[in-house]
Amino acid sequence: MNSKSRYLEYFGVASRWILGGLFIYTGWTKAMHPEIFLKVIRQYDITTNPLILNSIAAALPWFEIYCGLLLLAGVAVRGAGLLVLLMLVPFTAAIFKRALAVSNLQHIALCAVRFDCGCGTGEVWICRKLAENLILMALTLLPLAGLGRLLSARFTLGAPKATGS
Amino acid sequence: MSFKAIFGEALLIGIAGAILAFGANSISRQGLKLNRNYFSGGALSHSAGEAAVTSSSDAAPKSLAERLRSEGLQLADSNLVSRLYADPNRESGLVAFVDARNDEHYQAGHVPGAYQLDHYHPERYLEAVLPACQVAQQILVYCKGGACEDSEQTALFLRDAGVPSARLFVYAGGFDEWSSNRWPVEIGERNSGQIHESQPAGHPGAK
Repeated sequence: MNSKSRYLEYFGVASRWILGGLFIYTGWTKAMHPEIFLKVIRQYDITTNPLILNSIAAALPWFEIYCGLLLLAGVAVRGAGLLVLLMLVPFTAAIFKRALAVSNLQHIALCAVRFDCGCGTGEVWICRKLAENLILMALTLLPLAGLGRLLSARFTLGAPKATGS
Repeated sequence: MSFKAIFGEALLIGIAGAILAFGANSISRQGLKLNRNYFSGGALSHSAGEAAVTSSSDAAPKSLAERLRSEGLQLADSNLVSRLYADPNRESGLVAFVDARNDEHYQAGHVPGAYQLDHYHPERYLEAVLPACQVAQQILVYCKGGACEDSEQTALFLRDAGVPSARLFVYAGGFDEWSSNRWPVEIGERNSGQIHESQPAGHPGAK
């Protein structure tokens, strides 16, 4: 392993840990108060069906914790990375859509919009949140590309224990 | 590893994760009941922007009053709340206050003597609060205030549990307004005796 690929590998591990830690933290925050998360996701007007709304609010926080643990431990990392990306993309789009609606309603700039997006961190400035989510999406690309095998328990489910761990 | 293999891995751990997630919700004390409608009252659905912008309690009352009327409930302003708190019937249980917030907020401070009913976990509170509400002639339900809608939902819950809607009042200003008026606040359990008394002129307890 040359020095460039070694640094990329370290960067992959760091991204895995950052994503994992963040998802565990935000997932736990929501799992401890799912009713608050339920109220927030209801405001996105995704659906009015109580069963679907309740299912999202009840399961998603624990699912985030689960994905976070997989990333942190280095188990099925690419699959977990893809799941994290699949959670981030629609959620970021929903935040953007709602922020635009609030911006139009209030006649204020998009970056002046602030609300609790249901991200587990309370009320936030939306432009900042969108930027953060874009960075997180970029970070998921590293494990998806196969980086971050160091210190991983089982990087890929279908293969024996990863080399370098 | 091919994209197909990554999707396969994601699918496998996704299914396992979904099972674990629903299982965790079912055993969690805070877990939600999947088949329950926590937001009864069709008129109360939010638009995308509404919730984010109703930070001021002054802006809310007009549309809120209409919504409440359509559900057979009444809106209470701070004057009415003040009168109800000072009403001697409160001591005999004919006037009741119901706090619709969660344990953490209730324990931190509530209207003295107020019952707690977090409508997300009603089974924990109904035994105490329902008999009291069936006796009371005027029931004032409050939550945090501002964009908080738990007071409306709790009032609707009580109505659906058999409490006549004509007796139910929703205090839109909520606990934020109550405490900003520096009115008495009880800490901990109901009737704990730990009353935090500020003393501005005209607080609800003043004669």
